Amino acid sequence: MSERSWKDALGDQVPADLGKEIDTWQGQIDLKKQGELGDKIFAETRLRRGVYGQRYDNGLRDDGTGQKPLEFPCGELKKGPDTVWDAPGMQRIKIPYGRVTAEQLDVMSDLAEEYSDKILHVTTRQDIQLHFVHIEDTVPMHRRLAACGITTREACGNSVRNVTACQFAGVCHSESFDVTPYADAITQFLLGHPDVQDFGRKFKIAFSGCHDEPCGLVTFHDLGATAKTKDGKRGFELVVGGGLGAVPVEARVLMDFCPEEELLPVSQAVCRVFARLGEKQSRARARIKFLVQKVGIEEFRKLVAEEREQLRPDPRWTDFLEDLRGPDEKPVRDAAPLPDEGPERFRQWAKTNLRPQSQEGYYVATLTLPLGDISSEQGWILADLARKYTGDSIRCTVEQNLAFRWLSGADALAFWEALDAIGLGDAGASTITDITSCPGTDTCKLGISASRGLAGELRKRLTVLQDELDPAVQPLRIKASGCFNSCGQHHVADLGFLGVSRNVGGRKVPHFNVVLGGQWTENAKSYGMVVGAVPSKNVPQAVLMITKKFVDEREEDESFQDFIKRVGKFEIRNLLKPITKPPSYEEDPSYYSDWGDPREYGIGDLGVGECAGEIVPFVEFGIQAAEQTLDEAQDLHDVGEHGKAASKAFRSMLTAAQALVRHLDHEVRDDADDIVKLFREHLHDTGLFNDPFAGGKFASYLFNAHSAGDETHWLGADLDAAHRLIDEARLFVEATHSAYGRIGETPNLTKLQSAATAAPAE
Amino acid sequence: MTDIQHAERVQVKLFASKPAADPLDLVPVFHRWIREDKVPGELLIDVADYTHVWQGPGILLVGHGIDLYYDLGENRPGILFARKRELEGDLKARLIDALKRALTACKELETDGLEFQASEVLVRVPDRLHAPNDDDAFTAFVPILEAAAREIYGADATLVIEREAAGKREPLTARLRIDDAPPVAALA
Ligand code: SF4
Repeated sequence: MSERSWKDALGDQVPADLGKEIDTWQGQIDLKKQGELGDKIFAETRLRRGVYGQRYDNGLRDDGTGQKPLEFPCGELKKGPDTVWDAPGMQRIKIPYGRVTAEQLDVMSDLAEEYSDKILHVTTRQDIQLHFVHIEDTVPMHRRLAACGITTREACGNSVRNVTACQFAGVCHSESFDVTPYADAITQFLLGHPDVQDFGRKFKIAFSGCHDEPCGLVTFHDLGATAKTKDGKRGFELVVGGGLGAVPVEARVLMDFCPEEELLPVSQAVCRVFARLGEKQSRARARIKFLVQKVGIEEFRKLVAEEREQLRPDPRWTDFLEDLRGPDEKPVRDAAPLPDEGPERFRQWAKTNLRPQSQEGYYVATLTLPLGDISSEQGWILADLARKYTGDSIRCTVEQNLAFRWLSGADALAFWEALDAIGLGDAGASTITDITSCPGTDTCKLGISASRGLAGELRKRLTVLQDELDPAVQPLRIKASGCFNSCGQHHVADLGFLGVSRNVGGRKVPHFNVVLGGQWTENAKSYGMVVGAVPSKNVPQAVLMITKKFVDEREEDESFQDFIKRVGKFEIRNLLKPITKPPSYEEDPSYYSDWGDPREYGIGDLGVGECAGEIVPFVEFGIQAAEQTLDEAQDLHDVGEHGKAASKAFRSMLTAAQALVRHLDHEVRDDADDIVKLFREHLHDTGLFNDPFAGGKFASYLFNAHSAGDETHWLGADLDAAHRLIDEARLFVEATHSAYGRIGETPNLTKLQSAATAAPAE
Repeated sequence: MTDIQHAERVQVKLFASKPAADPLDLVPVFHRWIREDKVPGELLIDVADYTHVWQGPGILLVGHGIDLYYDLGENRPGILFARKRELEGDLKARLIDALKRALTACKELETDGLEFQASEVLVRVPDRLHAPNDDDAFTAFVPILEAAAREIYGADATLVIEREAAGKREPLTARLRIDDAPPVAALA
């Protein structure tokens, strides 16, 4: 309707190369609308511009009384397979190493207000996301971002995602050196590089300035670089093949010391090996961790070394080393010590949220953002505060906060007062109230439980209790993920929560798996152990019970991780037993909806008859038995009986598979071959067991375990193999719950099979 | 030279004289509105809770062409109606529609025990391309807003239009005050 456009208005403020890319994006949108581009190709194109789908974008939504169509005006036009054109989506804005300038914060605040819901959301990978965005608004958004130096290119899709780094890089006491210029160089070098365009899956890179602190979290990245010096020379320890996801894997050391001039070529070689040999057909096994597992780290090292030898020299590998000052980040105020005075709340805040820099008289101030959110209005004010006190020094953090660097001690009180005036003066950074959560069912298509709802509730309750909490409990970290993809990084929290659903009396009940004792420090050194599922509404109580036990029974100076290891899962499970079973719907229906969402949880998908609540179908006993066997496997694993544990884990998968096969009215014997054969035939090949998003991933866990050998074979498993099989069995049993939920109590196979073949591909 | 007539996005907010005891009370109400299709002609999609954000969007009822917020800005709860797309016509038509729909939403919420006043309306045009927050755009905006307001409040209503957030990064914003405004229910 208008002749004016942002393209005209911004003119040459948009760098020519970015402007051209955005013109191309506009062209692709036009072609799609004219029917000239296929859904799949357009979906990958859109994802590579950070333009994501969002919940309900298949045009269906359960309003609590059943699934209803959302009648968007676009009709049949799609922006991906089964993704409706007009449905609101999410724009991920890639923020390399989390660095944001005041101008960029202003612009993103404008965009959130005009095109989104006035909220900027900081993610666990230092990105910023805007939700409820219409696809056609992304073009002007991208232009306005480009005009302030931001590209959304490769913010998603099978490409190199945002390169992350410690928010303290360059101002930290414990770093070997500032990793910022290296993170910046690799970002620029790999962005759009031809060698990173043919991956089977995404590829995440992280930098850390040291080994011991958690800020960089390199151990769960596809490629991690930790700064170190050797004989006075700068370089990195490179690790490869880490990842959280369904089964977390710790990255393996690729090079103990990679000299700085080799960082880019070696990374390029890793990317080329991944592009060449990584899995392309099965998304479930396409991350680089599977390639490293498959060929072994020794062979992988060899492949990378050979690839490196063959690379043609590129001046960009070392050009950046001539000027390692990094981004132009200068203090705007003189250094000064932190004064002793100030109101009590300020002093509390200073204790938890101010960290002295390596440059004397300057501090990093961490702003704890509830659920990682700020409003546009807060964004504009924060941009002004940066201009006044700290300069262009803001960093998004992996704990969904904002760090302002270069704050003079003399300004700390005034800065805090300004923060407090906009509701951001709360203390508690990196404490039990500073909870991380992925979007979960709020906006994510894959969400199973309301991780944000849970995080918000826990935050509220723990903030009230904060002053009474034992000092040993205060520094514990809580993280929640809405599904097994683990975007909330719950595996590395002291108390982690993973969204799952359970069938109870014919209805679905939102639950969270409790994962305890993950280690955040030392770059997220180890992952937590799954204790069992608790109804969502009982999670706050579970937190209180576990932390109380820790306070009551902890040995002197014992860490939470050591305590959990010492006490063991068996005991924690017993502790939680009284709260693991939800009351019946008739007793308390609140358990049957999720936090912050009054709709009855998942009832539209179940289609349960009126009396179903009184009958426990046989299949539910089978799945419960599988869970019981899996718990026993976990207990055996905890006491070092790895072989027996693995064997039991395999049996738990067989039991769950058998229950589902029987549920479909097929005769099945107890032996593994028969169960797997019938499961494959009736649940896998028909698509009935396929997860709507993970496809056949979980079924493949059963097939792989079975093709490795029978239960006797698994008696010979070692610690690692048993650990992996238990994790996979847990996901398989979870998937059985979901499949049962989809199939329902009275399977209507014709309808189910046609639905299964129409499962979305994104 | 301003092309403010092309601005597609407009927002109007009416303030609560008796707000909800807890903003979260609006969550089930908005879910019900989706089920009952309470905003005629508009596709309603989902509800989002932003009550954890300081003076933020509060509770959001997300739609395709419109959004409706139980907004907590200025620390004064109210109903904020936002037109995003899908309405033909000029800016005046969009403002009239927004005012009417905001009033209707308030009237509906009054049946749930909340109360609103029609005597003050915050009006924003969050479209920096067509309506930059500058003197020219505001000068062009005033007669359009006045004409739209007269359609709702009557030709003889005493209206005062004040500029807000002048020169700041906020969008073009006006505060409309209406002397002796009738109750919300009489206007909706
Ligand atoms: S963990 Fe699952 S629910 Fe959460 S953002 Fe990731 S994919 Fe979505």
